[in-house]
Amino acid sequence: MAGIDVGGHGKRSSNHEIPLIPFIDFLLCLVMFLLVTAVWSHMARIEADARVPGPPKDTEQDKIEKEKELHVEMRGERSFQLIWKEGTTVVNETSVPRKEVKVGEDITFPDLSKKIKEEWTSQGSHRAATDKKFDRAILHTDNSVEFGSVIAVLDSIYAPEREFSIGTGAVEKVPSFQVTFASD
Amino acid sequence: MSGNKPLSRFHQPVSVPGRRLLHGVRLKFVQKKIVGGGGRAVNTEIPLIPFIDFLLCIVLFLLASFSASGELPIDKNVKLPSAQNAVEMLEAPMIAISGTQILVDGIPAGSTRAVIDAQKMQKIDELDAILKNKRELWKQLKPGVEFPGNVILQVDRRVPALVVKSVFMTAAAAGYPAVSFMVGKLAKD
Repeated sequence: MAGIDVGGHGKRSSNHEIPLIPFIDFLLCLVMFLLVTAVWSHMARIEADARVPGPPKDTEQDKIEKEKELHVEMRGERSFQLIWKEGTTVVNETSVPRKEVKVGEDITFPDLSKKIKEEWTSQGSHRAATDKKFDRAILHTDNSVEFGSVIAVLDSIYAPEREFSIGTGAVEKVPSFQVTFASD
Repeated sequence: MSGNKPLSRFHQPVSVPGRRLLHGVRLKFVQKKIVGGGGRAVNTEIPLIPFIDFLLCIVLFLLASFSASGELPIDKNVKLPSAQNAVEMLEAPMIAISGTQILVDGIPAGSTRAVIDAQKMQKIDELDAILKNKRELWKQLKPGVEFPGNVILQVDRRVPALVVKSVFMTAAAAGYPAVSFMVGKLAKD
């Protein structure tokens, strides 16, 4: 045992021993408590670009170039509609069966992710690493749809990735689409 | 058992001890090893001081990570969904949307029920006012710096999309166009 010798030869001994075993017990209890109560949370975020339904500004609307945009319709109960539009002109339209896969309490749509990846590979406009612009996706949902399903579809839209130059020759993988909500 | 039959040694419960193992060996170094008098002691002490140091290091590490994990205030009434293609969190005002109310950094900023009852997408006035105040305060604190316009929504997974779209629209109109949804991280396939 560890001890402290401070001399002294009176009636009461001045030498005391540090009780190491209770101290170790205390430390072990503290470790257990901290391990049990620690929150090992790994929170993350899904971005949503907000060129959203704001107050209409005619001057800004004129500046926006007409580019191909992917409209993802999640209104049907049995399928999703993927529609590429250039302005109001429909360029391409496909349907994906709505097959959800449960992951614990969450749901995912792996078929939709796969189809969106294929669609971006064939129809995407901004694919070069030096291209600072991104393809846009617009999500159309029913008002009654639960947020859990909305996030699952957003997650699928973010599945395709492209290279993006961040200067000094370095390139990183980023999602191919910028997503926003439709105002309807 | 019959009385004439001699008992085998396995049937005797107590027997006279015989010679001990290796005691008959006359080599001195073998006897020293047996009684623990060899070069290396058989009895060893647990090194308590390094053990305590180790425990203290663990305690300090856990205390440090404990405080860091508590920095993300998640509303208890909000059950977040999870996603695979999510990115790292950033520091921004938090809007928590539960089944009953909307909170901005813990301050009540509207009712979820009122938005659902209206049955149409609408601007939430209280939320708009609070966000605008926060924006003005930020600009006063950091003059000359461009306002990032980030806001993070903590939305319960059962909340209808109508409420989410209304909050999204209100945040954008209040000068927060970069909206993110807080999610749990799912492993990629």
